[in-house]
Amino acid sequence: MTLFKQMALAVSILILTILGAVMMQNYQSAKKDMVEALYQTTVNNISTLSNKLSQNANIPTLMREVINSQVGTTETDKTPAIIKSIIDAEFDSGYYKLIEFKTDHYDYKQIDMSPPEGVPSWFINFANIELKPVVGEVNSGWTQLGTLTVQADANIIYKALYRTFINLLYLFSLFSAISILAINILLHFILRPVKMMKKQAEAILKNEFIIQKEEPYTTDFKEVALAMNSMVTRVEEIFRKATQEAKRNKELLYNDPVTKLYNRRYLMIKLPELLTIESKSNGGTIILVSLDGAEVINQTLGRQEADNIFYEIAKIFTSTLHTFHEGIVARVNGTEFTMVIPNCEKEDALGIIERINKAFNALLQENKLQTTQVKINIGAYKYTTGVDVSDLLTKVDTALLKAKADETNNVYFYQEEFSNEALSKTQWREMLDEAIHTNSFTIQFYDAIDTQTKKIFHKVLTFNLLSKDGDTYSYGEFIAPAINFGMTTKLYLIILDKLFLEHKYRRIEENYVVRLPKEFLEDEDMLEQLSHLFAKYPKTMRHHLFFEVTDSFAIHDTATLKGYVDLFRKYKFGFGINSFTGEANDFEYLKEISPEFLKADVNFLLDQSTTSMAALQLVANSLNVEIIASFVTKQEEVQELTKYQITKIQGPVTDNF
Amino acid sequence: MKFLVTIFFLLAVFLNAKLISQDLEQRAQKKYGEFAKNRFISIQKDLLDKYKDADELTKLNAVNTWVNALRYASDRTVYGVADYWATLYEFVGKDKGDCEDYTIAKYYILKEMGVDPHKMKFTYVVYRDRRGALVAHMVLSYLKKPNQKSKSDILILGNNNKRVLPASQRPDLLKMIKMINGDTGPKSKKWKKLEANMKRKKL
Repeated sequence: MTLFKQMALAVSILILTILGAVMMQNYQSAKKDMVEALYQTTVNNISTLSNKLSQNANIPTLMREVINSQVGTTETDKTPAIIKSIIDAEFDSGYYKLIEFKTDHYDYKQIDMSPPEGVPSWFINFANIELKPVVGEVNSGWTQLGTLTVQADANIIYKALYRTFINLLYLFSLFSAISILAINILLHFILRPVKMMKKQAEAILKNEFIIQKEEPYTTDFKEVALAMNSMVTRVEEIFRKATQEAKRNKELLYNDPVTKLYNRRYLMIKLPELLTIESKSNGGTIILVSLDGAEVINQTLGRQEADNIFYEIAKIFTSTLHTFHEGIVARVNGTEFTMVIPNCEKEDALGIIERINKAFNALLQENKLQTTQVKINIGAYKYTTGVDVSDLLTKVDTALLKAKADETNNVYFYQEEFSNEALSKTQWREMLDEAIHTNSFTIQFYDAIDTQTKKIFHKVLTFNLLSKDGDTYSYGEFIAPAINFGMTTKLYLIILDKLFLEHKYRRIEENYVVRLPKEFLEDEDMLEQLSHLFAKYPKTMRHHLFFEVTDSFAIHDTATLKGYVDLFRKYKFGFGINSFTGEANDFEYLKEISPEFLKADVNFLLDQSTTSMAALQLVANSLNVEIIASFVTKQEEVQELTKYQITKIQGPVTDNF
Repeated sequence: MKFLVTIFFLLAVFLNAKLISQDLEQRAQKKYGEFAKNRFISIQKDLLDKYKDADELTKLNAVNTWVNALRYASDRTVYGVADYWATLYEFVGKDKGDCEDYTIAKYYILKEMGVDPHKMKFTYVVYRDRRGALVAHMVLSYLKKPNQKSKSDILILGNNNKRVLPASQRPDLLKMIKMINGDTGPKSKKWKKLEANMKRKKL
């Protein structure tokens, strides 16, 4: 219950109690007055009636006792007619419940026991009016004739009191309604700063920083609001500093200061990830560009200008690459540049190389440099997924050497004599078609573990293909052909459908993660397809399922991803980022999509300086994101990670837990 | 349509406001039979209609005679209680009633015939019957002029004497105890009850 509700309730109860008490008091005194007044009247009446009775009792002829003469009645009545007549006349002309006259010889009474009319019975029980009978003596001369008892009819009080009661009730309701309304408005006004503070706090969680401009009227709230404001300012400062720090560290660590390209260090971290079978690419091309005559440039143009030339060269690389999201360019040493372009076939690579050559020559002309003195050689190698890093670098080095040795051509493209792929494209296509048609996939999970508790905190989903010949192909083997044939979306829809609708998965109790590939998310229809799928999906699983996308997709397609994230949130699914490399210039995109976890390669994490690691952790904490290390293979790495308080890991090493 | 319904409703209220209505006659026939129904028709025809333009004395005599033709019975035998003020309708319908019932019946019929209710008083008296016994009794008094000064100014309509006589010629009424107004003065509890019953024509 909110403070506002509690206060409103308390005040309302108080008002109701006070008003209720006042009304009850009013009612009680009205009742008392009425009863009192009626009693007084009765006293007066009994006095008049006594007089009348005693006067007439002095007339002996009228006081003769008679045997009731009425025809058809057997009852005997010793009451003199004069007494009867007087009492009847009084009884009939007034408001009495009882008039009784008792003497030694007779006892005459008129009584009306009929219940009050025009008053509900609950009110009769509630009011419960007790009218005391008034008793008086009737004398005739010096002798006592008898006693007279008169009781007024409470009916008249019931009626009057009922009217009063109803009026009071109306008043009570009106007053209560007005006061409660007024109090609520007042409370609302008084407690507005609290609501504002709540908004501030919630905003901080979303990394928005709101300052309460209006000073609250209430002193206590004013202080809290000011404290809150300074806290918000402080948190904002911390967040901003952390972001800057992280950015600066990243730059120092992974960028070449002159060209702003990545450095060798970054390339060495990024390469394993690009080459791993999990990266879902069907291999690509690595291009190594070597510049000859750097010292000539320095001598002719001066140090300053030379740096500019290098910067221009870097721009050539980045601009020729911009159609490939995932490609990276690094300046590996003073004169060498490496481009790694996943999903790039030989033809595309040759196109890129041609453009580089052209742009470079234009640059030389522009700066009046001799092509004989300053030139570039380019070695390229078409690799397939799963190739070893050193193998890759050796091969592209060899290609560059060959290019340098060839005086007629500055480009050498190294291509393997035989293909690694055991199956031809046609065979793959047939097998995938068949598998999709017959739904021949099996779902598998591998564990992500918390090294402290040794418990599985979630499971990552992967799937295998079963060919009709009985062979099993792992995800890494068939995903590249599947991407090439544009079958990714179909494949994933089958898997998700299976996951949602097959009984054994529906009852799953653990958290598990489905990684959605870029090719799936890029398909414009998938957002709608997913939302259809989620709509029919059993609610029992909701808190256990997470989706995961790559950092590079999150950076480059933040807007598209936002659509998916909103859908996940709507259905209460979790969401996280994998392959995090700190590639982005700031963390704005993380604020926007606010993932629950970031998965980063263990090599990347362990390569961070202490300060940059601290900055990263600060950002992660402020965004409430958990850092998870992936591709962890060795126990030593686990221990290193523990030093950074990173205890959640996935990778081959989890088999040993 | 709405207009017609309103007219019909007003008409029904107007008809019912009369002392004797057709609806009453039908109900009387249902409850008490043909005889009772004819009695009510007779009130309308032989009293209300017939003496519409007659002088008050004629009206008094006609009504006194007509009502006194009804049979006497004590409240205890008819209603099972010591004292009950019956409506005109109950009295005529049952064809049984005590002195109060006669008085009430006469009062209402005369009022309907245009006799000023201020002139009529319900009068509590002590009455000596033919065997000499004293009885608490009620008669209807008719004041010939306001602020009556003597017994001869008052005409008595009782059920024990067929004729309408001045109080001075009624030595059997030994003592007058109290005169109370009909529905013209302050109303007692009994009166209110009677009035309500009359209004809904309680049979």
